[in-house]
Amino acid sequence: MSRLLLPLTIFILFIIEGTVFQIFSGSSHQDTWYFIPYFMLMLVILTGIFRGRSHGLFYGIFFGLLYDIVYGSVLGIYTFGMGLTAYIFSISAAPIKRSLRMLTVVILGAVIALEYYLYGMMSLLGMTGESHGGLFLTRFLPTFIINGIVAALIVSPVRYWFYTVDGRDDGR
Amino acid sequence: MNPFFSNRRLIVLLVCLIFLVGLIGYSLSEQRTLSWPEQFVQDSVGVVQSAFSRPAYWVSNSLDAVGDIRDVYRENQVLKSQLEEHASVLVERNQLEERNAELEEALELESDLSDYTSHQAMVIQRSPDRWNERIGLNVGAQDGITEDMAVVTSAGLVGKIREVSQFTSTVQLLSDQDASNRISARTDGEDTAFGFMEGIDEESGHLRFTKIDMEIEVEEGDIVSTSGLGGIFPSGITIGEIVSVQSDEYGLSQTALVEPSADSHQLDYVTVLDREAPGGEDNSEEEEEEEE
Repeated sequence: MSRLLLPLTIFILFIIEGTVFQIFSGSSHQDTWYFIPYFMLMLVILTGIFRGRSHGLFYGIFFGLLYDIVYGSVLGIYTFGMGLTAYIFSISAAPIKRSLRMLTVVILGAVIALEYYLYGMMSLLGMTGESHGGLFLTRFLPTFIINGIVAALIVSPVRYWFYTVDGRDDGR
Repeated sequence: MNPFFSNRRLIVLLVCLIFLVGLIGYSLSEQRTLSWPEQFVQDSVGVVQSAFSRPAYWVSNSLDAVGDIRDVYRENQVLKSQLEEHASVLVERNQLEERNAELEEALELESDLSDYTSHQAMVIQRSPDRWNERIGLNVGAQDGITEDMAVVTSAGLVGKIREVSQFTSTVQLLSDQDASNRISARTDGEDTAFGFMEGIDEESGHLRFTKIDMEIEVEEGDIVSTSGLGGIFPSGITIGEIVSVQSDEYGLSQTALVEPSADSHQLDYVTVLDREAPGGEDNSEEEEEEEE
């Protein structure tokens, strides 16, 4: 059961981002500002940090592919982007695992990297023509701030959960 | 700590990169229908999404209902005053409909561009990254949905069906910025102007109504609706109201900005229109829905 719990949680986050989240955030995002949820990515990165890079890479690619098929219009963008982000940010060094602040910074870094990678890909493929200046205040900044807050809130319980399931291995 | 690029993982990453380029090339090809693995994934995920969406709509609608209670008395007064007018309009409408049917019979018209049958559908997902404006419906090929059908709410057109799998389908909203997102439309002014709805204007957020003839005067406040020409859209579905007109970058045609009549940010239940199967039974279905 505990083996299934992690993929199941990531899958539920994947579903919630597209359904429940969209229903309740419905009205607030025309012209003013909106933010993109990256809760699934956060859990994937934390998996990579606490279980090792290959775990992170696997979950990144698998759920990236799912994201591409279900939510995306062009296949491959998320598969590669989430795989790469999970690979780069799965830094399982002891100082990072030990400090909640460092964990939050790493997750936020992953969110920023993926968001800018997606903006680059979408501009390259002609899916968006909006300038960076126009998007920065309406989209990027709210996305980074809110995802940063959520990351800061979840790192502690998620780390606790990984330690209770896998055992503590940060050398303390 | 492992070396950053160990050989095996580097190869996985490179394979992934090649996979990416290949997949992008594959999915950008025009007129592509969904392959069976995609259909399988979309359908299975769609079942879970429906299970999540349904209770979420219930909660969201209950919350709205609590908010509405405050306005009930005032709304009731307004509605009462409209009720009498409504009755007379209804009688008039029935008479006109009868007369229209008689005249059509006399002319032996079988069907025109405004006949359609409809399918009710629930919105089960919306793509969370706002790069593309797409929503998922819980109806698919098994319910008789095919590509390019019109998707409407009671207020007007919201988009067209883009991808169909067996039990779910994906709608491309009017505001999607894809180059293939083009819908034939017309105005209702004195001179009818024909053109295409092509995505949104990024500065103002309004829909763009392009390729209008220079000779025709288009005014602010004109209503834009579907023309029924080209494809399988029925004619006469409201799209929105013109808010400004300008000539295009080369001065060869005009472009108007249109305020959409349907709110595409708060969609829960929508109707998919199918123009292809007019007939006696279908007409009665339509009437039932109108009464609701």
